[in-house]
Amino acid sequence: MVSNALVAVVVGLGLGVFLQKGRFCFVHAFRDLFAFKDTRVTKAVLVATTLTMLFWSVAYALGYYREFWTPGWGLTGLVGGFVFGVGMTYAGGCASGTLYRAGQGYLHFWLTLLFMGVGYVAFTVAFPTLEPAYFEPLTFGAGASLFALSPIPAPALALLVAAGVVLVYATIVGRAREPRGDRPHGRAAKLTLAAALAPVAGLRSLARGTKAYLRGFAEIDDWKAASRRPWDPRTAALGITALAVLWFTQVSIVGVTGPEARWTGYLLQQVGVDAGSFEYWGSVLFQGEGIGITVDMLMIASVIVGAFLAAVWSGDFSVRVPKRRRVPNAVVGGFLMGAGSRLAPGCNIGNVYSGLAELSIHSFVATIGIVAGVYATTHWIYREVGCAI
Amino acid sequence: MSGPSLDDFVDMPDEVDDETAERLAEQAVETQDMTGEVCPYPQVEAKKAIQRLDSGDLLLQETDHVPSTENVPRAVGDAVDARVWRSGDGLYRIFLRKR
Repeated sequence: MVSNALVAVVVGLGLGVFLQKGRFCFVHAFRDLFAFKDTRVTKAVLVATTLTMLFWSVAYALGYYREFWTPGWGLTGLVGGFVFGVGMTYAGGCASGTLYRAGQGYLHFWLTLLFMGVGYVAFTVAFPTLEPAYFEPLTFGAGASLFALSPIPAPALALLVAAGVVLVYATIVGRAREPRGDRPHGRAAKLTLAAALAPVAGLRSLARGTKAYLRGFAEIDDWKAASRRPWDPRTAALGITALAVLWFTQVSIVGVTGPEARWTGYLLQQVGVDAGSFEYWGSVLFQGEGIGITVDMLMIASVIVGAFLAAVWSGDFSVRVPKRRRVPNAVVGGFLMGAGSRLAPGCNIGNVYSGLAELSIHSFVATIGIVAGVYATTHWIYREVGCAI
Repeated sequence: MSGPSLDDFVDMPDEVDDETAERLAEQAVETQDMTGEVCPYPQVEAKKAIQRLDSGDLLLQETDHVPSTENVPRAVGDAVDARVWRSGDGLYRIFLRKR
């Protein structure tokens, strides 16, 4: 238990540092893709998720893991994911983004956290009604990880999926690099040839990019100064992957809002509320083991501390007071994230990152819900200037 | 600054020193106070202002939101030359000159 507490602190601090230095923001990853086709963070998320999937599949096949997180699948993922996606876009930070920006000194995101807590409480109070009225009719099947269902070994499945991801990515990049303005004559033949060659062009550009990334490290002469500047999101993706693998072998998959909902119950217990008597806290979240501090709660608290340390080191820490017109974003966005993450269940980390990496059926559905929520909200916020996608 | 491309990971605008930042701040035609704001509002405001301004005009955004230093220049894209000044204590100035 002591060693797990130590792992929790190390993983939490490390995640805080990598999230802060890599500006690893899941809202940015999707919102800026839709708004102006900016894909830097989207690709970093893709790198982290794909690598984590590969390493987790190996850990799973060797038996070095504790558990998967696989809730039943159905429309709850779509509904809750959508609510969560709307909330995170409106608040300006996802579950993990809110944590590391709280550590950077944003009062906006402390307020967001507070109202995520309100969302967890509202859900917990409504849970006895929601269970028969929402979860039972909308859950279609038991949850599972494709790693456990697959007839082929998990690492082979992970390699196949990763190859698929790389091929699709290479094709998209290759197509985007094609010169435009072909003459109409012979265009069809050219297009077919170009389409066939697109993945090759894309793969070449991927290889060039990776080489340039590695060369970048050799060119750093002042590591202290470099560590203070913002880091390449790929470095953050690699660091997060390493920590997620350590966490998976010792504790579980990486989640944020589950532990946060437990924190809410724990803190209310400290001020005299009998949190254990609520079905959701008592028997679902704390699984009848009593209200206390679990290792994953320690881990997410450490994320805030890690982000604080990284921000102080980089000169990015300051206590930031939100503009008054942004307060509704923190309040409403936070509440929707808190409630949405329980209705799905799971947040951007539990579903888009960990859930896709463990190939959980529920998380495929929830990811669609979250991305749809971001899409709708981005179009609403950008209604005056327009979106690219 | 080039427009968004599918195969870059890093595209940070050039940084300027304190002196250049002071000089540029005096040239600004319009200053937007974006302290206390979060994404994507600074991007939206920058896009609106750039649409209004004439070629050669300089727009200054003062912000304490770290991601804005990358996002705002990306949002206005090809229409603008972007530079950034970092104070070192969580305050940033983004200079956007319309081409």
